[in-house]
Amino acid sequence: MADTNPQNPTAGAELSPAPAKDQKSPKADTKQAQPKPNGTEVTATGPNGEKLSGAELKKRAKAEKAARREREKADRQGPGGGVPHSGGQDKAGNQKPGKPWQKVEVQQHKDDSVAGSKGHHKRTTSTAAADHQKNLALRGKGAQGGAQAAAKPPKDANQVSLFGHLYGQSRRTTLAGVGKDVHPAVLALGLQMSNYVICGSNARCIATLLALKRVIESYTTPPGHSLSRHLTSHHLSPQIDYLVSCRPMSVSMGNAIRWLKLEISKVDPDTPENEAKEDLCDSIDNFIRERITVADQVIATSAGGKIQNGDVVLTYAKSSIVQQTLIEAHKRGVQFRVIVIDSKPLFEGKHLARALATAGLEVQYSLMHAVSHAIKDATKVFLGAHAMMSNGRLYSRVGTAIVAMTANEFDVPVIVCCESVKFTEKVALDSIVSNEVAPPDELISPLPLTHTATTTTTTTATATPDQTGAATAGEAQGVKGSPLSTWRETDNLLLLNIMYDVTPAEYIKMVITEYGSLPPSSVPVVHRLSTNS
Amino acid sequence: MPSPTIVASPGLSSFLKSLKSTPVEASIEHLISLLKRRQIRNSRPCAVATAQLLLRVVSAFRWTDVSRLIERIQLVGQRLQAAQPRELSIGNIVRRILGLVREEAEEDRDADASALSEPGTDSQPGTPRISGVRPPLSSSISTLSPLRHGAIEPLDPTVAEPDTAKFVADSAQRPPLLTSHTSYAASATAPMATSMFSLLSHPETPSSTATPSGTQSPSGRPTSATQAVFASLTQKDLRPEVIGGIEEIIDELDQVDEQIAGYALDHIHSNEIILTHTSSMTVQKFLLTAARKRKFTVVHAEAYPNDHEATHATVTGKMVNENQDELSSEAFQKPLTAAGITVILIPDSAVFALMSRVNKVILGTHAVLANGGLVAAAGTRAIAKAAKTHKTPVVVVSGVYKLSPVYPFDFESLIEFGDVSKVFSYEDGDLVEKVDVENPLFDYVPAELVDLYITNLGGHAPSYLYRIVADHYRVEDINI
Repeated sequence: MADTNPQNPTAGAELSPAPAKDQKSPKADTKQAQPKPNGTEVTATGPNGEKLSGAELKKRAKAEKAARREREKADRQGPGGGVPHSGGQDKAGNQKPGKPWQKVEVQQHKDDSVAGSKGHHKRTTSTAAADHQKNLALRGKGAQGGAQAAAKPPKDANQVSLFGHLYGQSRRTTLAGVGKDVHPAVLALGLQMSNYVICGSNARCIATLLALKRVIESYTTPPGHSLSRHLTSHHLSPQIDYLVSCRPMSVSMGNAIRWLKLEISKVDPDTPENEAKEDLCDSIDNFIRERITVADQVIATSAGGKIQNGDVVLTYAKSSIVQQTLIEAHKRGVQFRVIVIDSKPLFEGKHLARALATAGLEVQYSLMHAVSHAIKDATKVFLGAHAMMSNGRLYSRVGTAIVAMTANEFDVPVIVCCESVKFTEKVALDSIVSNEVAPPDELISPLPLTHTATTTTTTTATATPDQTGAATAGEAQGVKGSPLSTWRETDNLLLLNIMYDVTPAEYIKMVITEYGSLPPSSVPVVHRLSTNS
Repeated sequence: MPSPTIVASPGLSSFLKSLKSTPVEASIEHLISLLKRRQIRNSRPCAVATAQLLLRVVSAFRWTDVSRLIERIQLVGQRLQAAQPRELSIGNIVRRILGLVREEAEEDRDADASALSEPGTDSQPGTPRISGVRPPLSSSISTLSPLRHGAIEPLDPTVAEPDTAKFVADSAQRPPLLTSHTSYAASATAPMATSMFSLLSHPETPSSTATPSGTQSPSGRPTSATQAVFASLTQKDLRPEVIGGIEEIIDELDQVDEQIAGYALDHIHSNEIILTHTSSMTVQKFLLTAARKRKFTVVHAEAYPNDHEATHATVTGKMVNENQDELSSEAFQKPLTAAGITVILIPDSAVFALMSRVNKVILGTHAVLANGGLVAAAGTRAIAKAAKTHKTPVVVVSGVYKLSPVYPFDFESLIEFGDVSKVFSYEDGDLVEKVDVENPLFDYVPAELVDLYITNLGGHAPSYLYRIVADHYRVEDINI
């Protein structure tokens, strides 16, 4: 699309030539069919009463179309031909009325036909015009960058400049536009990760490996290629790209995938394909068992041994390994109490509290604001990790640093439970250079669990389903929905939802790994040990 | 449906409205119940309600003796305090009013003394007017002492006759006396200001009273009769004084935020990143004042789960005004964003991550204690500590009315615990039996985590606060 834009002024007031030019080379005969939709567009913009020169009008139309086409492109790659069509209509329905309405409508109309024709299967409804537009759309693909640039500025306005480098493309939450070679297991996993159904470093790592195992199982090497060369680059990378587009990879996933790629590259080209695949699947299972499952057991036993009668263990958010440790200690018959500190917006600690309470432990649950109170009772702090940095710092769920700092202040030992698969050679000094910025809207609409209690049943009934707890609570009070619901329209107001923070090494008294218990300064040593073995 | 209920909902505004029409005792009961039900909460509404109620108590109470009035205020104060012991501002206001009454009484005694030493009863009717005209000075005891020293003492033993003559001349023309008195007071401000002077004057008081009245009062009137007359006169004199004093306190409560905001430009420079927590009107006004001249960025921690709605409302400028108690001018507060300030709303957990880029932490508070520590919204301590870790200065803005003479021997007793359902909603009802949930409303922040206090009197180091406490409260009132 971008390359057609410069042509616009030369094209004069008539709208049709530009797109026509665009597809001139592929199909000259469809050129005549083109003006039809554009003609309607011109008549539609007329009544809008906008006094714009033809060129300007066209430029705007182009920009909008480009943006739409980008979405269309996403739709086009969806599983069915029919899906993109409806998707396009949805988009039109969601269009903000601030823009000239009718123009959008008409354009949408046009683009719908594009979408319809653009499916992987040629549809019978494809007229010559539609056919032509398909080519147009495909050509437009190369110009996506330009369209994105046009769509960017409003998005940037809602970004915290300090974290500007961390805003990648926004997280994928639908299947629309996923490449066709992404395996269904991976598709499902991606969505689960994006929605935090699968959340937590270990869970994501295991789930990724299992999904990739299924990918490998269903893989057949195309003739003329060797598995070790083809599988990684051509078959696995789209899966991984898709997963990353759903949510940035965790360190453990990165480590596991790096390992898997290494394993694949080590496959002897002479090995028969079935055997090679079986071997790979076995080694994936082994990896999960050795590096995570067994490692967890070792850590849980070791860390559980640190808990004594009468201890009050404080933990933050949810870590599978901490949960296992606590339950392990409880099974040994140790009498102790657990304080779970939790925070917005994920409330992972609630799951931990539930699991522990169900297992029969004595659990106290508080939110972040109560940490200074809770720490007074605590005798030990157990933390999970997202990653251990090579400079001994702990990279974990945002808020961990506050808990560790408070514990340090009150002279409560902080113990980190972390498998060596989460060790990374990366180093970090602060939480800003590397982090993950989650969609800020999660702060406004926390998960349905978190409906504030001021929400009475009657107000919930009146509230629309997508309204948040805060909104309904506000309704109970009177005027507002959540005042934040329109934060994007408020100038200068930004929401920041980062996922992780970095805890200074001096707050950490001990890191328990499957290799043993060590001070944070020994993390790089163990990392080398574990990667070389 | 909600709006009519809100209008009818009991709170500060409804209490203030009803105050005029309700008998005093009923008003006291009303306020006590409002406090107990937490329908009036937070420092300022509590302070305003207390001051207004005591104003009513003082004006309605028929007293014959100042000590009776003090007892009465103490009694009411004790009841209010007992109703909500963690709202320290109630006690602060009661103490200040008690201090006010005591001061007036002492001053009055001094005035009596001087009146006594000035022979003749005719001067007494002048006393109320004198006190009425006198500019409101904080230490009114010393106001009249120079007079006594300057005028009477030298004359005392020997020159009684000229004094009487002068007095007779004076009494003939009352208005000049008045003006001479006031002008004297005005001219005497310089010596009055020094506490040394009043220090010296105090011990003198009894002797100067004793000597003239007993031995050589020119008019030679019986003292007891005079005292009786005084007593009846004093109460008349004191009432407007005390009421005026209480009204001054109420005015102070009104203007305190503006006064504090006046210091904003001294503390905020351009392009700063300032972190704040919860929604505090004082902080908002402070930042808004700075925003008129400077550009900076505000990082706002939302104080989930207790104050996040108020924070959201503050940040977006959609003041819901859930408690109608806020004064109307506050309800229409413009948000910082409208002043061109970038506001970044973060959850509390992200404070540590961002602290390394923050230049200054500005906090509001619930109460300030005499040792410089503060009782503030839960989560403040972690923020202050994170700031300390990153060597970021922590500034606390607070009106003097939040400054309490209470010394926190037991921090825990100052911490109120709130509604657990804000932490654990009804959807998690299955866990409620199994899990112990805590929701503290306040944190105690030790003085060493605070770098600077800004009150309506200016900026102070935490170590200096005891001095301000001493200025505002009298030792005998520390326990109401």
